[in-house]
Amino acid sequence: MADAALARVHDREAAAAFRRHYLSRLAIYGLLSIFAIIYLVPLLVVVFNSFRDQAEIAQNGLIAFPRSFAFHAWADAWSSYCIGGTCEGMKRNFMNSLWMAIPATILSTLLGALNGYVLSKWRFKGSEVLFTLMLLGVFMPGQIALMPWAFILGKLGLTNSTYGLILVHVIQGISFTTLFCRNYYVSIPDDLIKAARIDGAGLWRIFRRIILPLSPPILIVTVIWQFTGIWNEYLFGVVFTSGREQPITAALVALTASGTNVRNYDVMSAAVLIGALPPLLVYFFGGKYFVRGLTQGAIK
Amino acid sequence: MSTIDADAGRISGADNPRPTWRERLVRISPILILAPSLAASFIYVFVFTIWTLYISLSNSSLLPSYGFVGLDNYASLWSNRRWNIAYSNLFLFSAFYIVGAMAIGLALAILIDQKVRGEAIWRTIFLYPLAVSFIVTGTVWSWLYNPTDGIQMLVRGLGWTDFNFALASDRNTAIYAIIITGIWQSSGFAMALFLAGLRSVDPDLVKAAQIDGASTFRTYRRVILPVIAPIFLAVAVVQIQFAIKTFDLVAALTRGGPGISTTFPAIYVYDLMFQRGQIGEGAAAAIMMLAALAVVLVPYSFFIVWRHRRESRHG
Amino acid sequence: MTFTWKASAGLLTFALLSGTALAEPRTNLLHQWATGSDAAAIAKLGEMYTAAGGKWEQTSIAGHTANTLAKLRADVIAGNAPPAVQLKGPEIAEWNETGMTANLDELATAEGWEKVVAPELLPVMKPTGSWVAAPMNIHRINWLWSSPKVMKEAGVEAVPKTWEEFNAACEKVVAAGKICIAHSTADWTDSTVFEVVVYGQDIDLYRKAFVEGDVDALRSDGMVKALTQLRLMTSKYMDPGMVGRDWDTMSAMVGRGDAAFHIMGDWTIGLLTAAGFKEGTDYTCSQAPTDWGKPGFILNADSVVFFKQKDPDFIEGQQLLAKTILSPEFQTVFNQAKGSIPARLDVDLSQGFNPCQQLSQKDLQASIEAGTLVRSMAHNMTIPQKYRGAIMDTVTEFVNTPAMTPEQAATAIADAVEAQM
Repeated sequence: MADAALARVHDREAAAAFRRHYLSRLAIYGLLSIFAIIYLVPLLVVVFNSFRDQAEIAQNGLIAFPRSFAFHAWADAWSSYCIGGTCEGMKRNFMNSLWMAIPATILSTLLGALNGYVLSKWRFKGSEVLFTLMLLGVFMPGQIALMPWAFILGKLGLTNSTYGLILVHVIQGISFTTLFCRNYYVSIPDDLIKAARIDGAGLWRIFRRIILPLSPPILIVTVIWQFTGIWNEYLFGVVFTSGREQPITAALVALTASGTNVRNYDVMSAAVLIGALPPLLVYFFGGKYFVRGLTQGAIK
Repeated sequence: MSTIDADAGRISGADNPRPTWRERLVRISPILILAPSLAASFIYVFVFTIWTLYISLSNSSLLPSYGFVGLDNYASLWSNRRWNIAYSNLFLFSAFYIVGAMAIGLALAILIDQKVRGEAIWRTIFLYPLAVSFIVTGTVWSWLYNPTDGIQMLVRGLGWTDFNFALASDRNTAIYAIIITGIWQSSGFAMALFLAGLRSVDPDLVKAAQIDGASTFRTYRRVILPVIAPIFLAVAVVQIQFAIKTFDLVAALTRGGPGISTTFPAIYVYDLMFQRGQIGEGAAAAIMMLAALAVVLVPYSFFIVWRHRRESRHG
Repeated sequence: MTFTWKASAGLLTFALLSGTALAEPRTNLLHQWATGSDAAAIAKLGEMYTAAGGKWEQTSIAGHTANTLAKLRADVIAGNAPPAVQLKGPEIAEWNETGMTANLDELATAEGWEKVVAPELLPVMKPTGSWVAAPMNIHRINWLWSSPKVMKEAGVEAVPKTWEEFNAACEKVVAAGKICIAHSTADWTDSTVFEVVVYGQDIDLYRKAFVEGDVDALRSDGMVKALTQLRLMTSKYMDPGMVGRDWDTMSAMVGRGDAAFHIMGDWTIGLLTAAGFKEGTDYTCSQAPTDWGKPGFILNADSVVFFKQKDPDFIEGQQLLAKTILSPEFQTVFNQAKGSIPARLDVDLSQGFNPCQQLSQKDLQASIEAGTLVRSMAHNMTIPQKYRGAIMDTVTEFVNTPAMTPEQAATAIADAVEAQM
């Protein structure tokens, strides 16, 4: 008898708990959906516009579902739109950016990993101060560095070349990559390193055998960070290269800045998407590792 | 490989000493590895800053020159209306942008942390703006804010004919248009950091609180958030450096307008140094930007060093 | 078009001559005409340059002028100044002072530039007596673009000639429920309208304030009067949509018949033509109002400055480029595309040019004779950038701040300029 009463009470409580649970789930998904819509609208507007006819955009405004559907804006933006007197679209600039961003990303990540490893596992007197010094590079505003860089690149004979830009991006990136890697490696138990040293492993061997195999999460974080940052950088790209050597951001600004003729929102939209595609892909495929890498210690 | 030889030597005993040059090399190799990066960072941070500081005290106009004029450039800078607007915009923007991005980032992180389905999809949606350059972001949002073609036209088209959405076109509110766009762009990053933090909280701690009968809200407020407090600092520092460097976003979104209401220090520096041929005053403005950064950074650096000292002392 | 043949023959001879020399002329022009008809016009320059035997390269930098200048500075600091750069007005003089610009005197004498180039451009192109720049065109700023359709609807019979008539016309247009002035606010558009007002009201004040940069003139009652007119125009005759509107859509408002008037330079022709509007039916062009009853002309010119080079190929290339730019053939093709008129006064505009361009050339001559020709402040042809920037900042702030009085604005403008001295 008593048991049955207790069971009923439990049932009622369970039902209430279930209802509460159900409502809170609804609220969670509702809120997430609202945010998701706000986050996605700008992307959708551009994607739609890239497939709409210019005439239709002019008639129905910038925000509307496509009534027409055409791919020509993409083809135009990629290979035939006229920018800076040459009608080759953005494909050259796109390749320039790849040739700049990939080596610069790899180099700065590699240096960051080495620096981070030394600063966390081979500390010496004053290494903390040096680390703080390198950290300051994170905060330098680009406008300050523009003229000194121009001077240095001129002295090195690296103006108007992709190598010059790679150098600039690697040095400006070191602070970030070192910060990320150092904080991650600190969480690797020192005992592991000590054991290896007792076994006679040297600095390089430990790096290759112990540190690198544990590094993928943080390396992915730095690669994502560096690649998107370098790909999206405009000021240095436009100032330190000329003519056909310019990166994609220069072409993007050329396309989106108002000229003296009517704007082609369809081609602009396609161009914007082409220009944003590589970092977007990096995020889509690496996003999971990004959060995981951050979870495992990059944020200390 | 030589390392393997070295290992063999070490294992076989102390009576087989290695050449001293090798020992010495091993001892200094940490410094050798750091040296190139250190030298580069040193030039990048200190030499560049000192050079800019000197230029700010010089009579540089069209090109850098080295005639000393004392604090003239600073006097001229602070008597300029546009600079004063730019500097106060920086603080207004930073405050709203950092708090906004943190609040929304934290809210999103907590929502996603509720064991939702399709976590990867939600995360990707909130993170993707971070991949998009400020130039693209600014261009697209300027379409949305456009009073004739953007959101206003859309809503009016839906029958709400006296709907007004001229956020970016009113000099009093244009700064908020930039703030909203900035938050849209970077709250995903705050979310990722907070989510990372929430995942690192010891599950036993949470369980203990729940057993004590604390509500979800209370658990977060009393147990989880205090644990991830350092993350607030990390997010804030990253956001502050974004805020102070804000350039592309404003350039693409409002070009400093309407009027001069959304001028920012970075834009002012760039305009003076490169457009108007006033390199001296531009450098002075750049130094003031660094000063604003220092206000935040100097205490932060001390905190970092102190924490690292403590870390190394305790283990 | 006889000059075409002559010019080609001249270029051909030059090409042959340079072919005999060891140097192979080449150049790289740094400019900001990255898109649309501007880019097409520059592409023509490239074609002609190549046809004349030169090796053509260009670096076009879109967007803000600051980007072009940043690149120029970076290149100069890096120690490799570009061979040819699009630079304007006082910047030519400023760069000339650094001693880095190349001297074109020999070529200028051989080609007789002195006699054919518009006299008002001479002090700009040769700031210290030597030619350092080659002018490409002459833009007119003080244009009034009108919509015959809107004027008729509102009962405005004739295009206004004075500011009084203009205000009266606007009252009628506004009463008829139309926008009187198509505008899009930005520092340079606001300043364009403002300088046209100052010029139209008091040409002496214009010269003192905007050409000489006289602070007292900027603070004067005349300036307050001009600002009062500007306030009337922005508050009543322009629509609130002027904020956030793209500048390249203003002219279409006149073409479509949404607005009666539009005050802007002659690049408007390119926009109107591209949008399919016809002169005479969709729009008309006339001199912007003046209160002193003479033909007037506010001039703006684009030009190319040459920097000293070490490589003989580039030195040779500079000569060839300067020569090509000032050839009547290029001046014709380029300006037909851009809406401006040739910097040479001896080019016949009777064929292939828009009626407004023909009028522009006629008015230019007339205003030279009347002594009313001035250079544009808003388009960077007079005072140094730092003063111009200070004026433009304040003017656009005035336009966007209804609470600011004309007196306050005049003081603020003068103070801002004074602070830069």
